[in-house]
Amino acid sequence: MTTLPTEAAAPVVPATEPPAPRPQKKPRLVGTTAWYVTALFICAVMVVPLLWMITIGLKSRTAVFDIPPKLLPTEWTWSNFVNGPEAIHFPRLLLNSTIITALSVVGGVMTAMMAGYALARLRFPGRKVWFYLFVGSMLLPGVVGLIPLFQLYKSIGWYDTWLPLIVPAFLGGNPLFIFLARQYFLAIPYSIDEAAKIDGAGHFRIFTQVMLPLTRPAWITMSILAFQASWNDFLNPLVYLYSSEKWPLSVGMASFISAFAGQTPDWSYYMATNLLYMLPPLIVFFAAQRYFIQGLGALGSTNQK
Amino acid sequence: MSTVSRGGLRRTRRNRGGMSRNAGSDVKAAYLFIAPAIIGFTVFVVYPLIRSFYLSLTKYNGLTDPVFVGLSNFRRLFTVDPAFWPSLRATAYLVLLYVPLSLILGLALAMFCNQRFAGVRLVRTLAYLPVVLPAIATITLWKFIMNPQVGLLNTILERLHLPTSLWLQSPAMSMPSVVLVMLWGVGGTMIIFLAALQAVPNELYEAARVDGAGAWSVFVRITLPMISPIMLLQVILQTTAALQTFNQPKILTNGGPGFSTNVLMLSIYNNGFPNLGRIPQLGYASAQVWVLFILIIAVIALTAKFTSLWTYSDNTPD
Amino acid sequence: MKHTFIATALACAGLLTATACSGDDSGGGSVDGPVTVTVMTWESAQTNAAIKKALAEFKDDNITVELLDTPSGNFGDKLASLTQAKKLPDLFWCGNDTEQQYTTQGLLVDWTDKINEGDGDFKADKFVPSAMENWKTADGQMGGLPSLMNAYGVWYNADAFKAAGLAEPKAGWTWDEMYAAAANLANKNGAKYGLVADQLTGPDGPFTMGMYSVSAGGAPFTDNVNHPTKAEADAKYTEGVQKLVDAVKNGSVAPPGYDASNVQSLFAAGKVPMMFGGQWLAAGFQTDKPKVKYGFAPFPQVETPATLFDSVGICTPQYTKNQDATFKVLEYINTKVWDAVLPASPVAPPAYTPAQTSYYDALTKAQQTTVVDTVKADLAAEKTVGVRFTTQWAQQVGDLTTASYQPIISGKKPISDLQTYVGKINDLIKQGG
Repeated sequence: MTTLPTEAAAPVVPATEPPAPRPQKKPRLVGTTAWYVTALFICAVMVVPLLWMITIGLKSRTAVFDIPPKLLPTEWTWSNFVNGPEAIHFPRLLLNSTIITALSVVGGVMTAMMAGYALARLRFPGRKVWFYLFVGSMLLPGVVGLIPLFQLYKSIGWYDTWLPLIVPAFLGGNPLFIFLARQYFLAIPYSIDEAAKIDGAGHFRIFTQVMLPLTRPAWITMSILAFQASWNDFLNPLVYLYSSEKWPLSVGMASFISAFAGQTPDWSYYMATNLLYMLPPLIVFFAAQRYFIQGLGALGSTNQK
Repeated sequence: MSTVSRGGLRRTRRNRGGMSRNAGSDVKAAYLFIAPAIIGFTVFVVYPLIRSFYLSLTKYNGLTDPVFVGLSNFRRLFTVDPAFWPSLRATAYLVLLYVPLSLILGLALAMFCNQRFAGVRLVRTLAYLPVVLPAIATITLWKFIMNPQVGLLNTILERLHLPTSLWLQSPAMSMPSVVLVMLWGVGGTMIIFLAALQAVPNELYEAARVDGAGAWSVFVRITLPMISPIMLLQVILQTTAALQTFNQPKILTNGGPGFSTNVLMLSIYNNGFPNLGRIPQLGYASAQVWVLFILIIAVIALTAKFTSLWTYSDNTPD
Repeated sequence: MKHTFIATALACAGLLTATACSGDDSGGGSVDGPVTVTVMTWESAQTNAAIKKALAEFKDDNITVELLDTPSGNFGDKLASLTQAKKLPDLFWCGNDTEQQYTTQGLLVDWTDKINEGDGDFKADKFVPSAMENWKTADGQMGGLPSLMNAYGVWYNADAFKAAGLAEPKAGWTWDEMYAAAANLANKNGAKYGLVADQLTGPDGPFTMGMYSVSAGGAPFTDNVNHPTKAEADAKYTEGVQKLVDAVKNGSVAPPGYDASNVQSLFAAGKVPMMFGGQWLAAGFQTDKPKVKYGFAPFPQVETPATLFDSVGICTPQYTKNQDATFKVLEYINTKVWDAVLPASPVAPPAYTPAQTSYYDALTKAQQTTVVDTVKADLAAEKTVGVRFTTQWAQQVGDLTTASYQPIISGKKPISDLQTYVGKINDLIKQGG
């Protein structure tokens, strides 16, 4: 239950490699076995549903409803992985999701970093006030804005476009990011600012060429969080988009399994496509795992100021 | 303000892009930097607050103009509507099941993964995996896993000769099933707690060991207090998120057998955006929104009030 | 006939444009030149493909017909969104309740004149009379035309009945026989329940139960689903409810809350011996080809036959660009398109009686004789009850049903609560929402 000693006074470090092996005591064997058994159970709970998903994706449409259900498919319908995505118009949905998410991420991170920079490093009247206002707006549940914004977008003609999903990101739509950005910026010594100013750099240059590289973990983490938030967004596209060709993956996939007029959805097609749906975030995660853990760690260990 | 650079032959750049070095320009620059956020704040925070409050006092179908009806929406909500109190109950049930379980499980998993065993990184990654996957993908997957006839859960339970359940279709088990699906993503909480655990200075543990403290003592007297700020943050974040849960009830049960999973957020959506040609009741839905809003504020205020009692904050710099 | 129609339409168009009518929000404005008429349906992908092909045969110099792609699962949401955006297509599939609600709000075009004084055969008297009645609002407006009739009954697994030595359901069978068969077939051969009757246990349950009381000589749940004046649950009705409660209790009928979205597949796999359903499943079964022999029987009765009655239709929004063109396409759909679509995909009998033969022929050819018999019997039935309220406040009734009626069926509340429930509905009726 406790960590073994690492280097003294180390900064926040995510779980790293085990140190040199220590002599084992007898009771440790039981503890170790228990740990591994539990670990196995945990891994199973996390992974078995995914494996099962793949087997359903490989079954034929009617075999899915065989009772009692067989765990492994008898006929390997690999064609589901081609026909399923086609039936759900997967490539189109993927493209939509990618565009919406990419724009949201860029907008969200950019404006949050800008706001965090100003709040942390520039002195101006109202600095504290705006900070508290932004952080306070974290308390506002998204649902309060749902209906008024829906009417607003309708009246300016943004209904059934991607604009309601993208523009809020560009207007500092996520106060949590502003909070995070400010935290990171506060940790940078002012001497760097001073040095840059001596060199004659204006604010914009300081921001882009000095601050951004220094806070890379922050905006990478924010990008990942923004990516997840946008990729997973379901309610907003559900409300603002009704043309099926404009849907992102979240709404498109969910609508595929809703039954209508007594017709059962095709689960084998669906599971095959689901696997493809899961791949992009997985790839992003494995590529940037380090930053993610590190960044979330910052959330877990910063002091509140 | 002098624009001569100190100590040198460097050329000063004045007014580059409208931003120079003096204090006045600081203000200009600052406001330019936070301008998007200010606009966002006005449009997405202030405007909705005012407008939704106004709408909650009207009868509005989205097509014709709103008609002012005063407090009759709230009256109908609290006295006549047969769906309102069940939806509050469902929401409360969800929060009371989900928040404590997710925190306990998250912390347990974090402590579990905070040990030096070979393969701990694999466990950590796998535990976090469901969080990485798209929410809709996992929710729909679990909907089929919980299918009473052909789903994975009942199949496994039957093979192990354990009792099966109707899961999402049973009025008693529907909410626990929804919470179960939500708990599959406990890896996110785990990561945050893991980072918090690793920020606890080891000297404390060593000192405790020297003093002969047992594992439980260490946990209660050192670990918990040291991570209490994070715990508080997590309680607040998780509770407010749980109060606004929408995706899981919508996709898994759409209100569930009876009203058992008809959480307030789903009720709002169904009233404001009904399907199949029913007329939307946007005013009524706005009234529900305000009830939810007040609820959230109350929860946050109550939790924050008690923070001083049980959190430990170390304000020494660095 | 068609030529004079076109000539007059063009002449009107010319006149109107001559008078510089902007014609974008005042409904009925005609536009010179080619018009596109958009159509949106909720049919399955296969049926839609057939409809598209049939629509391509619509030959008119000025009118192009475009079928919008709608994933059938989301028709309801899409309809609501398009209504809000004021972008409804010129012709969209709609239920009777949608038509009633939208018409009273002034959202739809009133076709009463056109259908009463139309040229040739496309006239009101060629439609099923009760459908026409149901599609009129209280003040006689018709915001849409019925297109297809829905006939409901009980789909049964013939093999399961044979294996259990039971007689197959057929016209004239009783509720007691049905419940007995359900009890017999439950928990056999992988089937959990003997009967899945979502219509009886779901939000429309109270209305469906009206069949029992009407068949027993009692009163229906409500006197008129479109313009109700009262709701009631008399002694016969209560008797019917009690039988259902008992059946749910002994596990032969699926309880409220049972997710019926997968029932069709389960039935085709032979895991559901009986299920309440509509005749449209016949089309689905034709493509899916269930493993079991199946049939479609009318609803059971007590003394005289009674059935549910429903029709769906096609509506047009007020802001449609060219009412005449739209009506022409509407006429074409109701008369010619079904002839082309139904043989491959027999979803429902048309409301326009001359077009019904193609439906029955298609079914007979596919050897779904039980379906033909049941549908014919249903359409000819004298005693019918409505499927659900079509009023503005119908959603609140759904909530009341979930809160009060369904717990009674599940056995959580006593059957005496039935009268309280009916009382609340009467309050709603009085208030008018």
